[in-house]
Amino acid sequence: MPVTKAYPFEPEEAPPEYRGIPRIDPVLCIGCGACANACPPNAVLRIDDPQNGTRRIVLDVGRCIRCARCEEVCPTGAVRLTTEFEAATDDRDDHVEVVELRLARCRGCGKYTHYTERQVEKVLSLIPRGILDFDRVREKLPLCSECKLKLTVLNATKFGEVDGL
Amino acid sequence: MKSLWVFHVNTGACNGCDIEILDVLTPYYDIERLGVKLVPTPRHAHALLVTGPLTRQAYHAAKMAYEAMPPKPRIVIAVGTCACSGGIFHDSYALRREYRESLEYPLKGGTSEFLPVHLYIPGCPPRPEEILYGVALLKNIVEKKVRGELFREGTFVLPRESFNAWVEVLLRARIRKELGYFDGYSLLKRFMELVESSESKEELEKLVEKAINDEGDSRLRYGLEKLYSYYLEVVRTYEGILAAKRALVGLPK
Repeated sequence: MPVTKAYPFEPEEAPPEYRGIPRIDPVLCIGCGACANACPPNAVLRIDDPQNGTRRIVLDVGRCIRCARCEEVCPTGAVRLTTEFEAATDDRDDHVEVVELRLARCRGCGKYTHYTERQVEKVLSLIPRGILDFDRVREKLPLCSECKLKLTVLNATKFGEVDGL
Repeated sequence: MKSLWVFHVNTGACNGCDIEILDVLTPYYDIERLGVKLVPTPRHAHALLVTGPLTRQAYHAAKMAYEAMPPKPRIVIAVGTCACSGGIFHDSYALRREYRESLEYPLKGGTSEFLPVHLYIPGCPPRPEEILYGVALLKNIVEKKVRGELFREGTFVLPRESFNAWVEVLLRARIRKELGYFDGYSLLKRFMELVESSESKEELEKLVEKAINDEGDSRLRYGLEKLYSYYLEVVRTYEGILAAKRALVGLPK
């Protein structure tokens, strides 16, 4: 009985625990960049473009060491390490997967903030009804850091007036 | 080309990829049936099999090996993530690399810093099958499977609705401590499906009991029990806060 595998001529599947090529699911990704922070070899990049209002999450399989840190930190389970392993190619562009998302606009000044629209939706979906005042959170959320600062100061002065009466 | 004679150069790899290359030569994988032979000198070689992120020490030796090869076909195969793009060592002080802006992609580094590479085989280390696949790709036996992809804003799905989403975030942190991310997250997904499919607390209890009895793995049984107790705890806390708030709002000013 021959021991040699027939692999390149017959398909072969990796075991289910195998950490193969990572893939981003564009349906689930919210563009928070947690994977970019966690990645040891910087295989995932988070590139903001505040002029055009887009954020790119770039995953380079050719830099990935398959440590699965991104899978561990992803809040929505968008990054998964698949069991695919056939990543050989003659062109490095084939290794790059890009997910482009829109940045949220600030309600105060209209500039682009440093988070995406999907992040806002995700945060709003996480607030349990009844405990926090939902409308006040909703009003504060799509603000850039400067406008948030102004609003906080404004609220503080209002509170002082009420307190002084 | 019918048979490919390769010369193996290690430019500072951690030896992981080199061991996989040895694996590929064993009878189990047997790359020699594709005509590949490891030769001891670059003068006999058609292809240079490079592993490692290209240290400054190894640069000149690798260059000499490349120049010693016959001028045609002079194929360069980068095996491993380090040789493809620098890998985990991409910003090491010992590497020979050009200064680059860090936000351009595909990411540069490794062998492509000084040689024209014909085939990239990423992996840390690549499986023996990955190396076999790469060589088969070079010989046009198999099709290329990876493609570069650009997804623009499309449909967006939030997996769960408000209360369940909040519960899931709290349970995720707990189950990661108990079972780790790999088993824990998939178990949590199963558990949340049970929660969403059940309509009352009694039904959920029955469903969880059934799932625990059907589960063969004792670790997953333990995880399910823990998840259910955490879930009850979270729900109890939530209802407690709600009741306290209701009492506070009801108070006369």
